[in-house]
Amino acid sequence: MKKERSKKHRTLQLVRIAIQIFFIGLFIYLLFGTHFSGKDYIGDVEVFFHFDPLLAIATFIASRTAFAAFALAAITVVVTFFLGRVVCGWVCPLGAVHQFFSWLFKKAKLLRPKKVVTGGLAWKYLILIFILISAIFTLDLVGFFDPLSFLYRTSVTGVLPAFGQGFSMLIGLTYNLHLTGLGDRLTQFFETLTINSTFRQGFFIGLIFLGLALLNMFRERFWCRYICPLGAFLGLVSRWNFFKLKVDEEKCIKCNLCTLHCETQANPWPDNAWKSSECVYCETCAAICPTAAITFPVKGAPEKVPAVDLSRRKILLASFLAFFSVPFFRISQAGKRAHEKLIRPPGALPEPQFLKKCVKCGECMKACPTNGLQPATTEAGPEGLWTPVLVPKIGYCEYYCSLCSQVCPTGAIRELTVPEKLTVRIGTAWINKNRCIPYFLGRPCIVCEEHCPTSPKAIKFVMAETKLADGSVATQKAPVLDLSLCIGCGICENKCPVMDEPAVYVTSVGEQRSEKNQLLLPIAPDQPEKK
Amino acid sequence: MDRRDFIKDMALGSLIAGLGPKLMAQAPKAAGLPDLAFIQGDSPAKITREAIAALGGMNKFVAKGDVVMIKPNIGWDRTPEMAACTNPEIVKALVEMSLNAGAKKVVVMDNTTNQAQRCYARSGIQAAAKEAGADVPFINPRRVKKMAIKGEWLKEWDVIQEFVEADKIINVPIAKHHSLCRVTLGMKNWLGAIGDPRNQLHQKLDQAEVDLAAFFKPVLTVLDAYRILVRNGPQGGRPSDTKLMKTVVAGADYVAVDALGATFFNIPPAELLFLKLASQKGFGEINLEKLRIEKRTI
Repeated sequence: MKKERSKKHRTLQLVRIAIQIFFIGLFIYLLFGTHFSGKDYIGDVEVFFHFDPLLAIATFIASRTAFAAFALAAITVVVTFFLGRVVCGWVCPLGAVHQFFSWLFKKAKLLRPKKVVTGGLAWKYLILIFILISAIFTLDLVGFFDPLSFLYRTSVTGVLPAFGQGFSMLIGLTYNLHLTGLGDRLTQFFETLTINSTFRQGFFIGLIFLGLALLNMFRERFWCRYICPLGAFLGLVSRWNFFKLKVDEEKCIKCNLCTLHCETQANPWPDNAWKSSECVYCETCAAICPTAAITFPVKGAPEKVPAVDLSRRKILLASFLAFFSVPFFRISQAGKRAHEKLIRPPGALPEPQFLKKCVKCGECMKACPTNGLQPATTEAGPEGLWTPVLVPKIGYCEYYCSLCSQVCPTGAIRELTVPEKLTVRIGTAWINKNRCIPYFLGRPCIVCEEHCPTSPKAIKFVMAETKLADGSVATQKAPVLDLSLCIGCGICENKCPVMDEPAVYVTSVGEQRSEKNQLLLPIAPDQPEKK
Repeated sequence: MDRRDFIKDMALGSLIAGLGPKLMAQAPKAAGLPDLAFIQGDSPAKITREAIAALGGMNKFVAKGDVVMIKPNIGWDRTPEMAACTNPEIVKALVEMSLNAGAKKVVVMDNTTNQAQRCYARSGIQAAAKEAGADVPFINPRRVKKMAIKGEWLKEWDVIQEFVEADKIINVPIAKHHSLCRVTLGMKNWLGAIGDPRNQLHQKLDQAEVDLAAFFKPVLTVLDAYRILVRNGPQGGRPSDTKLMKTVVAGADYVAVDALGATFFNIPPAELLFLKLASQKGFGEINLEKLRIEKRTI
């Protein structure tokens, strides 16, 4: 028998890798492009999210509102319906990342598929069901598992800061080697990238990514096989599979290489058991076959039901679990009183709607020019983990900037023009007179007043008397707040020279999006204040 | 007549009445070189050129082969009509003049308060200075080093190295209201040439300004009073916070430039603590009557 591998499918495989690299490049290009670059309006850097039908459907179900931009997701659905999961195999950047790690582990002989593995494929469908059922009960968990959200969030909060640190060390090295000119040039280049380098949970979010990447040592494309709910969704959508796998039984030598090395456990051989809903058309089986027995001829007829065993019991179990999990994700103080540190970006919808739409992707955190938008830990309860909060001590809300609202892919942050943004109140500043330099130490300062961006300023000054330790009295200009003017941007807290715990700080009270978290109430003019 | 006009007229009147005969006595020097050039006109670039010309031309300040640092105020994320940052046309004119005078390299930079990329871009200074041929780098954290300031109060602080490496420094502040020191002019501008946490200097800001000015020693100060910020300083926020003065004041005596700048805010120079401190140290002249001011409108 003639032993020769298929050149055609080897070429197709290389083309597929080239296309994957292209889409990874596009992802990185858009990721790096998401920052202020001289213009007030940034353009559609978040557009790739809108091709994601899982995000579209889950946020639609959870929030009960449609977001027009997600119409693009129909393209992905139609393509998958006719061609199968080519998006997973050829386009998805997270899929490419996992495949890269799988390839790496195979080359390092850490992953050596020896026997055919079965089972486990149902997990991702159950995760999908879990997400969709909880969405019906208005809990939006899709952001934790959606591959694009996952990759973008990880890139922004974990990978890029690490890259920044590494780049910085490289620059340091050039200076140590007295390559000053090179160091200067690298520094200027680095500054133009404006990488946000501080994220409170960047390490842990990065660790989760690392863990999932390491799982590729046990199974090729572990995430894609067992976890990815978008893959599951596309698996359910794939019906036609225009190109259908065919094994030429006459050529086949029953070596089983194809099934062993199938990236997604789609089982090309034997027994016509090819799982078309699992196949991502990576072309590996056809390229690896020593006798070129595998081809993907065009076959018009629609496919039978997907071959993954999804028993009614499992589906019911996942649904019940989702149903009973919803209240657990809602155990937080949010229902009782507003959290003082839950300062949302300007344009954020009222909290319940915000949580139903936010997919924790981190676009806003990447766009924020001051690094102030941070992934939430406990401020918004379990369901609000990794949603954006402003942490003024790290970075304040830049007055003339509305980038975060422009890049939000789901409309959880309503898109604002710059003039609109100027009027949005996200919180209120407070002065801690026990720590404030003029009030407590009787020395000049009023840095907060200097930085207050509104006109007229929300922070004004009065002459305040302070009794000092020696009994003398100092009189200094001391800051006072005009709460009706404060927008809660937090630059006062950010710039306060009391380094550890700023003497002026912002809390969420007064945030425009909330009806209840308010302080100043309209008092009728016929009830003047009396002394 | 308001107080500002009165003070200006006093200054100019005394120039003519008091110094006039003296100037005439020393005709050759007086004709060429006033202490301060006080130029008004519609074009920021033209009045800047005129001011430098009145002082004897840029060659008097910049020598062939010099590395020149031009220090505008780029501190805030504000567009030029807000008068929070130095007028970009003035910066551009100075870059061009420096290069024409034979400067090897012109650097324009500032340690901004808001995000640097936004300040550099939206102030218009980055584009204007680059167009004229200057380097407009961002602050390089590895080029910020602790140095001996040897001031009255400020003994040492982190200094951006480009400023000390330059052969000549030209200070280009903008005249603005400031709550703590009442106005911010040339000497306050040096807070943009040092590292953080500079906000802590506010505990003794006037002295810090004086110490820093003496440390950096600009060869020339060009005060942008084309559009000044009269309230809600130092960043304003509304065009109504500004006042169109169409003026540039230039001089080698940075204390004198600030003294004249104070009068734009109706403040007698001697009332400002930082001017008083600088004058006591003998860093410059704050008595406008003792200064030869060449005032022109073009």
